[in-house]
Amino acid sequence: MTVANGKDFWAGLMFIGFGLGFVVVAITNYAMGTAASMGPAYFPTVLGGLLAALGAITLVRAFVSDIRQSLNVFPFRSLFIAGAAISGAIAYFCADWLKGMGPAGSIAPQASAVLAVFLFIAAWGERSLFLVLSATVAFGYLLRPLGLVIATAVLVFVSAYGGHEFRVKEVTILFAMLAVFSALVFVWGLTLPIPLWPG
Amino acid sequence: MLGTLIGVLPGIGPVATIAMLLPVTFTLPPISALIMLAGIFYGAQYGGSTTAILLNIPGESSSVVTVLDGYQMARQGRAGPALGIAAIGSFVAGSVATVIIALFAPPLVEFALKFNAPEYFSLMVLGLVAAVVLARGPLIKAIAMVVLGLLLGVVGIDVNSGVARFSFGIPELSDGIGFVSVAMGIFGFAEIIANLELKRRREIFTNVVTNLLPTRQDLKDCAGAITRGTLLGSALGILPGGGAVLASFAAYTLEKKVSKNAANFGKGAIQGVAAPESANNAGAQTSFIPMLTLGIPSNAVMALMIGALMIHGIAPGPQVMTERPQLFWGMIASMWVGNLVLVILNLPLIGIWIKLLNVPYRLLYPSIVLFCGIGIYSVQNNPFDVLLTALFGLFGYVCVKLECEPAPLILGFILGPLMEENLRRAMLLSRGDPSVFLQRPISLAMLVIAALLLVIIAAPAVLSKREEGARLE
Repeated sequence: MTVANGKDFWAGLMFIGFGLGFVVVAITNYAMGTAASMGPAYFPTVLGGLLAALGAITLVRAFVSDIRQSLNVFPFRSLFIAGAAISGAIAYFCADWLKGMGPAGSIAPQASAVLAVFLFIAAWGERSLFLVLSATVAFGYLLRPLGLVIATAVLVFVSAYGGHEFRVKEVTILFAMLAVFSALVFVWGLTLPIPLWPG
Repeated sequence: MLGTLIGVLPGIGPVATIAMLLPVTFTLPPISALIMLAGIFYGAQYGGSTTAILLNIPGESSSVVTVLDGYQMARQGRAGPALGIAAIGSFVAGSVATVIIALFAPPLVEFALKFNAPEYFSLMVLGLVAAVVLARGPLIKAIAMVVLGLLLGVVGIDVNSGVARFSFGIPELSDGIGFVSVAMGIFGFAEIIANLELKRRREIFTNVVTNLLPTRQDLKDCAGAITRGTLLGSALGILPGGGAVLASFAAYTLEKKVSKNAANFGKGAIQGVAAPESANNAGAQTSFIPMLTLGIPSNAVMALMIGALMIHGIAPGPQVMTERPQLFWGMIASMWVGNLVLVILNLPLIGIWIKLLNVPYRLLYPSIVLFCGIGIYSVQNNPFDVLLTALFGLFGYVCVKLECEPAPLILGFILGPLMEENLRRAMLLSRGDPSVFLQRPISLAMLVIAALLLVIIAAPAVLSKREEGARLE
């Protein structure tokens, strides 16, 4: 048995994963109720089952399809996913334990969570995907502590580096223009509660 | 204005535009916000045709057919008349469609006010099925995306029991997944990244746009095309899942059939620009009908509109017209004004839009990413929303790669909570008897239509044609 349509194969697995995930979480955590008075688990369980079934059909079709597509849809790096899972698990399960270990311990779960997110995005192996998305995430979390100007610098330089051409001079000018523009429009014009500088 | 500005940027369609500008509208009162979004939608729609004609790149999917003859006209040095006729056709179509909405919406509302929980549930099933059936690409994956959307919509506090579902202890998730994050991630970020992977050569006809006005002969040639395009577009726009894309394709095909010199099509026939442009505008507008009267989105753009309404605290549905008539009629009036403004402003300003086309994408996209970032952050001043958006961007990108159309997902996401609510209420009233959906005539009729649509589309002949079409794109 060989997979004919790689895209359908992965799509099927994705739907099965999401479907079963919703079913398992719903059944183990929430009340099912009856058809007449549905509990919070009822609707998600039914839909999750349906999604998993649709995923299974897609998966079967991937084997019999007459469309030939490689399984290598992404230059996927499984080591990164494993790393993301481990650091995510540390952030999620060991948070309380680490917090008891002093000031360094209280930063550890957050740092671990951040690492998990970046590794997860990087695992798909696409350069522009990783750079644009991680620049955006970094921007969101740097905005309050470091202010608009520095966060904008990070976002503009990193995301511009994700394109085909990167010219330092050009991007510096772009950054300067965007920083002035967003300071004028968003901070002074619309008075959004965003600091300009660290502090 | 803003809409055209962004719509003219190649590769950013109306859905992405609206998704990116959603946060901007939160500061406005609901009426202005909705009118602004509608304006952005028309503007983006129109901007799409500009790039289609000048660049051979459809700005969005509904101008795909405009490319065929519009670009050929530009190559023959007739870019001006092509742009002109697109604007005139759109204006005529927009005006007619506005009248149609004003005529048809009130009776539909009256009908919809009789609906109860079972009818609403069945209506949503029909709406989702029709949206899937008329969408492009593989059917099963589209249905799966709808179901996944419904599930994502369920995340957050359950109104009946107060349980925070699927929040995994993250406080931000107990309010549900932010609609802006889903929309901007899947449509905005995924699109930017997909564009970065393509390296397209552009051949721009910037110097040839001299005379915008079509000749008298052109107008005479196009009158029929515009009329047919408008009527066909208006009819198709009302259908769920239809809207502008279907309308423009159908109008082009029809025009080619009725034309005496069909051989000219694809070689710069002005009718080949006029018909699809009129149809997509008419269709875009009449697709507001199900949204305004029933609260059911017929396509991704309408799903975004409903999301915006809900953020402003307005529950979409037939009661909008009875309880907030100024919103309803203000919206309809704005449609016509919006169309007029587009013609008046855009024709003289076309030179500026063309200059914008010369800005390289490598400078454009960091700016778009920045404004998106500030936009999402400012919704709740919470970096978690930015993170969520990035993750949905990743998800949207994966979906594109796996050929899973993301539009059905956003429809499901919007309807998820409503559907669960109505299902629960209906089942409570019937004491757990599911046959209630079949005993009530309106509900039964809608379910039968939904089932028929599924059967027809699942027929092998139709199915293979669909997948063929998907592969061509």
